[in-house]
Amino acid sequence: MNNKSSNPAPAKNPRFKRPEASPARRRFIWLTLGWAASLFAVIACGFASVRSLIPNVLFEPSRRFKADHPEDYPDETFTFIEEVRLFIVRKGNSYRAVSALCPHLGCTVNLTAGEYPFLCPCHGSHFQENGDVVSGPSPRGLAWHFVSLSKDGRLVIDMDREVNHDKYLIV
Amino acid sequence: MNPFFAIWKKLAGSRVGRSIFRVGLPESSLGRAQAMVSSFLLHVHPAKVHRHSLKFSYTFGLGLISIYLFLILFVTGVLLMFFYVPSTDRAYSDMKDLEFVVSTGVLLRNMHRWAAHLMVLAVFLHMCRVFYTAAYKPPREFNWIVGVCLFVLTLVLSFTGYLLPWDQLAFWAITVGTNIAGYAPVIGEKIKFVLLGGNTVGDSALLRFYVLHVIVLPGAALFLIAIHIWRIRKDGGLSRPDEPDNVLQQIETGSMPTNKSYGLMELAKGTSPAVGINPEDQVSAWPHLIFREILLFMATLAVVLFISLIWNAPLEELANAVHPPNPAKAPWYFLGLQELVAFSAFWGGVVVPALLLVALITLPYLDFKRRGVGVWFSRERKVAITIFTICVVAAVILTVIGTYFRGPNWDWVWPWKEQIVITH
Repeated sequence: MNNKSSNPAPAKNPRFKRPEASPARRRFIWLTLGWAASLFAVIACGFASVRSLIPNVLFEPSRRFKADHPEDYPDETFTFIEEVRLFIVRKGNSYRAVSALCPHLGCTVNLTAGEYPFLCPCHGSHFQENGDVVSGPSPRGLAWHFVSLSKDGRLVIDMDREVNHDKYLIV
Repeated sequence: MNPFFAIWKKLAGSRVGRSIFRVGLPESSLGRAQAMVSSFLLHVHPAKVHRHSLKFSYTFGLGLISIYLFLILFVTGVLLMFFYVPSTDRAYSDMKDLEFVVSTGVLLRNMHRWAAHLMVLAVFLHMCRVFYTAAYKPPREFNWIVGVCLFVLTLVLSFTGYLLPWDQLAFWAITVGTNIAGYAPVIGEKIKFVLLGGNTVGDSALLRFYVLHVIVLPGAALFLIAIHIWRIRKDGGLSRPDEPDNVLQQIETGSMPTNKSYGLMELAKGTSPAVGINPEDQVSAWPHLIFREILLFMATLAVVLFISLIWNAPLEELANAVHPPNPAKAPWYFLGLQELVAFSAFWGGVVVPALLLVALITLPYLDFKRRGVGVWFSRERKVAITIFTICVVAAVILTVIGTYFRGPNWDWVWPWKEQIVITH
């Protein structure tokens, strides 16, 4: 095999005679093309079907939420906002937004009077004040969302942006 | 002759009757065979069945019961569709309308819900029966796999049905369930997004689960049930012990003798129903099989009706995304899974179920020696039976723990002690 392929390219050889196109080869090419085209059509249809199921527009509440003015939240409190299921936590002049969605399986955590403020009722995960897991099956702590101030001086929470547990909004 | 029989005979034998039934009421063995072969509805049956297949203590009729429950679910489900709109504004009030406005609406919903629970139970027990009688051994390996797929479909059908009432149980069961799907490696989050049609359990999720529940999954189940039954016939009827004096012969396809008039018989591959059977062990399917089937259907329907007349299907409060009920429990057959998930969502919700599924599917190809076929708890299969029993017992224990021993915040409780109920 190797010896043959090391010969000079036959196309450049003037004495090279083109072989007759054999019916078998023609048949093979047409069959390959036909099958490839059919396969492509089927795969394309499959892709189109699956793609149509992935929504482009979501008819859900906005992922950016405009809350009240910072001074409306009393100092040292957790305020639960039902529409977006998160807590606004104020400490002095610092603000943060802690998600109320348990990272385990998405239940809404409750505020409790115990040592640790957040408790998930579904499978019993406990969370510290800053959202870290204390016990239970949750693999992560509660997420912190990015908080900013709007032009009219109200808190804006962006739920598509998670921040580290050391980022507050200082007003 | 009893008068009903006489009337029936007269009708079936009349000009019109014969045009419908093709052959009249059977009066001879030939007629009994013809009755089975020439009727569209009956021809899935063999003309003759083995005595062993009719023994109730061998199958407990579990496969048939599953099909009958599917049939009941199909009919009641179609009727329920007339009164249900899959939107978050309407769904819950439609449930209330079924209860207070629609005549016998409560009965329909009860039958649908309880038949679904019973079907999960029946399909599971049917799988245990097939395992303990070694009915998955060659040549029935593939039919076992079809059966495993039907078991999974049964669970998914019931899961998708759960969301539709849009009550608290519905909302939180689907929230938890789709989040478990989200733990699947690589594509988990995508699957969750496509299943819900968004990020939260809302209108698009309800519509998607509805379409899956009323057409996609039942269609798939119907298709697989057809294959399942067809394969029973092609694999030689129900499994039974090999006859001692009849060596099972495998017929190979391919060589068609041209000098024989019965050449078509040679096309049948594998163990045809006639192989390995003594003629005297067979009885006519009409009436022995048919009447048993009708009787079993009546019994199944009676049980479903009885349960539905006494107990109402649960309906919790309207779905509320802010307050999960505490404890938030799935239906009983998912509580074993929920108990596993309470330890770890990834291991309990993805890895263990996936491994179990793989084990079930590969089982007939790993354990293929024809030993103990057709016998309950054969002593020749100690290892296989031990492993399977451990899995079944573990599933039962987890389910019992999840059902009775878990209280608010999924804490351990003793069911006989007074419970603190937390209401929000």
